[in-house]
Amino acid sequence: MAVEKFKEWYENRHAYQRDWKKRTGGKIVGFFCTYEPEEIFYAFDVLPVRILGSHETQDVTEPHLFAMFCPFCRDVLAQGLKGKYDYLDGISIGQSCIHLRQAYTSWEIHKNPGWSHYIPMPNHVQSPRAVPFLRGEYELLIKKLETLTGKKITDSDLNRGIDIMNKTRRAMKDIYEFRKQDNPPITGLECMYMTCSQFFTDAREWLPVAEEVKEELKTRKLDREPGKRLLLVGSENDDLDFIRMVETLGERESVGATVVIEEHCTTTRYFWDEVEEGTGDPLKAIADRYVSRTPCPCKDWPRRSRLQRILKFAKDFKADGAIVIQQKFCDPHETDIPFIRRFLEENGIPTYFLEFDVTTAVGPFAIRVEAFLETLDTEDDLF
Amino acid sequence: MAKYPSEPLKCWPKAKELRNKFYQNFAEAKDKGGLRWMGSAWSPDAVVRGLGEDVHCITGEPYGASCAFDKPLSAKFLAAAENYGFARDLCAYMRNYWGSILCNEYALGGGKFPKADFAWSQHICCSHAKWYQNACELEGGVPLYCVDVGAGAYPPFEPEMYPHRVKYVADQMLDGIDWLQKVTGRKYNDELFFEAVWNDMRSTNKWAEICMLNRNIPAPLDEKSIYSLYVFGVLEQSNKEFADFYDELYDEVKDRADRGIAAVPNESKRVMSDTQPPWGFLKIYRYMEQWGAVSIGSLYTFGLAGTWLYDEKNHDLRPRPLPAKKPATREEACTMLADWHLSKPEYQHFYHPEYKTKMMDAIAKNWHVDGVILHYNRGCEGLTVGIAENRLGLLKRGNKVMTYEGNMGDEREFDESATINRLSIFLESLGLEKPKR
Amino acid sequence: MISAGIDCGAKNTKTVIMKDGNIIGKSSVPTGFDQEKAVDDSLENALKAAGVSRKDVKKIFGTGSGKNSVKMADDTVNDIKAMAKGAFYFYPKARTVADVGAEEGRAAKMDEKGNPVDFAINEKCAAGAGAFIEAMARALETSLEEMGPLALKSDKTIPMNAQCAIFAESEVVGLIHAKTEKQDISKSIHDSMASRIVSMIRRIGVNEDVVMLGGVGRNPGFVKAMQRELNLNTIYIPDDPEFGSCVGAAVLANE
Repeated sequence: MAVEKFKEWYENRHAYQRDWKKRTGGKIVGFFCTYEPEEIFYAFDVLPVRILGSHETQDVTEPHLFAMFCPFCRDVLAQGLKGKYDYLDGISIGQSCIHLRQAYTSWEIHKNPGWSHYIPMPNHVQSPRAVPFLRGEYELLIKKLETLTGKKITDSDLNRGIDIMNKTRRAMKDIYEFRKQDNPPITGLECMYMTCSQFFTDAREWLPVAEEVKEELKTRKLDREPGKRLLLVGSENDDLDFIRMVETLGERESVGATVVIEEHCTTTRYFWDEVEEGTGDPLKAIADRYVSRTPCPCKDWPRRSRLQRILKFAKDFKADGAIVIQQKFCDPHETDIPFIRRFLEENGIPTYFLEFDVTTAVGPFAIRVEAFLETLDTEDDLF
Repeated sequence: MAKYPSEPLKCWPKAKELRNKFYQNFAEAKDKGGLRWMGSAWSPDAVVRGLGEDVHCITGEPYGASCAFDKPLSAKFLAAAENYGFARDLCAYMRNYWGSILCNEYALGGGKFPKADFAWSQHICCSHAKWYQNACELEGGVPLYCVDVGAGAYPPFEPEMYPHRVKYVADQMLDGIDWLQKVTGRKYNDELFFEAVWNDMRSTNKWAEICMLNRNIPAPLDEKSIYSLYVFGVLEQSNKEFADFYDELYDEVKDRADRGIAAVPNESKRVMSDTQPPWGFLKIYRYMEQWGAVSIGSLYTFGLAGTWLYDEKNHDLRPRPLPAKKPATREEACTMLADWHLSKPEYQHFYHPEYKTKMMDAIAKNWHVDGVILHYNRGCEGLTVGIAENRLGLLKRGNKVMTYEGNMGDEREFDESATINRLSIFLESLGLEKPKR
Repeated sequence: MISAGIDCGAKNTKTVIMKDGNIIGKSSVPTGFDQEKAVDDSLENALKAAGVSRKDVKKIFGTGSGKNSVKMADDTVNDIKAMAKGAFYFYPKARTVADVGAEEGRAAKMDEKGNPVDFAINEKCAAGAGAFIEAMARALETSLEEMGPLALKSDKTIPMNAQCAIFAESEVVGLIHAKTEKQDISKSIHDSMASRIVSMIRRIGVNEDVVMLGGVGRNPGFVKAMQRELNLNTIYIPDDPEFGSCVGAAVLANE
């Protein structure tokens, strides 16, 4: 099954990336936040890879990060400090939350690969001034990438980068369509492997596999009860142990569930929106895309635009309930969560809140999720 | 043992009077047909002044700090915010502020929490705009405008101040002026705006000049007094009365420095701090004074209300000079204000901790500091971002550094006896002797 | 000259009597509710063991979380300083010391005279202190003394998120339900706690010679886990590590 390839990539990201370098002789830049214009890196034939944590406990970040910053930024920094990414040619961050920024700056101080670039991605994305500003920043990024590669690019290179990224986005959205079915032929776990493996691989090598998966899903039938349909919403999340636990609950308990849609920066916030093609100003088109994409909550003001997007996801994918997830100490999400929960509840989507750390306490979480699923049952009985 | 002469500041009563008048103006604004607005201490308040002289503000940070002084009241506000569903680790000022709205109680003088007509703020840490977004919602739908100042570091930390960055911030202010007219229905007065921009630069420049005087040994000001005086720069930088007051204050502090008047008569070691202190426990400064240690300030107190430039060549921090002339057009005023604000020292570490380490080390060297005390402030992510790297960087540059954990506005996270314990060890390591029992 | 150091800790109150730099008597009693009584009893027992009387003692220094209950003390010493001096007394070459007691873990870096120059304290959470292992022993229905040797039998690594003692306990319960071997759970508990303490030590920097003080130093499972986490073959531990701080106080009283 082609779908298993995603898991293999996810689990062997370093082997893949080292091999990619050997095979192609190309350069790899690690990025920290999804506000990174990967199109521009592809235009330079540089491979952008997202750095995620490894969900292992560690004791190397303590001198660098004060205790109240989120476990995700800690886990990410640990990857660098432990030397797991020593093959990178550069690191970069598109500014978003200040927590993750620290993983980048500490990495920059202590494990500098020789090239680093900070993009002051605008926060006021609802202002018409954001796009021209970001376009200016992209011009600076391009100059900086010229120093890394010794190359110059043209608009047609940028169009090529746009084409690559848009195709992966479309492939993901096509695959997400299958999740709308009453018995989805693909699990939430498999989808998480799919989206995250794209962070770790060359989109041009990832895409043919995704196309193959699309074909397979047309006839695939899963030998499992879908159970309750869940929406996951909140902070960065690639906690596969958690999703696996949720989706196998039904094997052990009287209630089970399938994750049918998420609003995370590892999934839809990352890929849902495309770059407009054929505008004549590809750089502006890219800036436009990052400014108008589903925002991280720290950029979602003065209007809280996420609410409607999340509700639409819940409706389109027929979610029975939502698990609102927050990385411990994740301030941007903490400022949105009370409003998101109220809004979803008002719109008939029950919610349950969980706080995530580096590792998952699968046992205690299983009890809570099971109890939440049971409350969804009772509500069904009422109607 | 007194080594130096000391005397109280003469301008104390005036400072108190100005502060009370400011809070009163806000509370009574509506009675006189004026307007009320809320926003962050760093919001470009000069822009709002173009709406007229009867428009008064409350800035959230000093308000949150005031709450923290009244521990039972603060506990009530924090509990209200938590009950609403806000996480306990969020900014403590913000939670005190939201709690005040939820309890409908005003910490400054009691009564109901005065509802604002609009919110006008800035955004650089993840919470700034979200603070007022949520406050506006909790107040039942107050219009909000925020200027994003996260447009990159200021030279010398960046090779140049790229024009598109200043333009981004200035253009948001221009749009903001249109917005202000729309939500208030008032006609905008550019002359008032130009004057306010000038006063903003005047007050923040003068505050930096005042802090320069603390290079003197003995220090004419201690940090506890600095907290009471810098507050004008965080209440309303563009307020003419405040700018005038800083001129007066400068003269007085200059006179103290010239005459060798000490804030702490037994000054024998000088320390500097970082980030907001735990407001309910300022007695830790008194404790240090018993040992003969004076806190001469911090990048936080110098930079929050002052505008400085880092001088790379001489490894020094100098007040940013005023521009050659006042602005004459709206565009020029916005550009000038944007450029001035982007150079705030307290904005630079948002891009890299190394920038802050350089400025802190420059203070340590040029203000003759013997030890650095870093408050790992659980109440403010924005100012503690990168603080652990600051510690490493300061140690690497040969400074003695101690840290303690606490919270500026949530006393539950401050351990007084453990902190006193830490301070004792640190002061002893600076060569000071424990005060006799 | 004869001096005494009294460490009034959260769990036990310890006294050391020193004569000209040598330990001549010591005693430990449970602190209990009445701290002052524990201080009196502990001093009394130690004097008896040393074979000297109260008036022979020229100076008494108190330390520990209950140092203010040491009413007869000539002076009190900061816990960190006492710990550093204690470690220096036993191992003058040491520049890093970690002290893990019942309710608190702490670490310090020392100068060549044994004075602390930097330090870290793991406060407000039992997951980095001895009480955590004690609570976990109860969950595993075994004795505190058995916990360490049990851990040594295991060669498995089960990650545990010991950011919080209460949460860790529910993880342990989860492991018990999953029929995990007792020895493997015990190792996991020790590993997670060692990781937390090592994290704290890293904050001040690890030097070659590390000394461990505090009652938890008696636990071989924990010591082994610390060696693994720190990548060190040896961690120096005096015979009665729980007396480390009161030795330091006695040394300072003697100075």
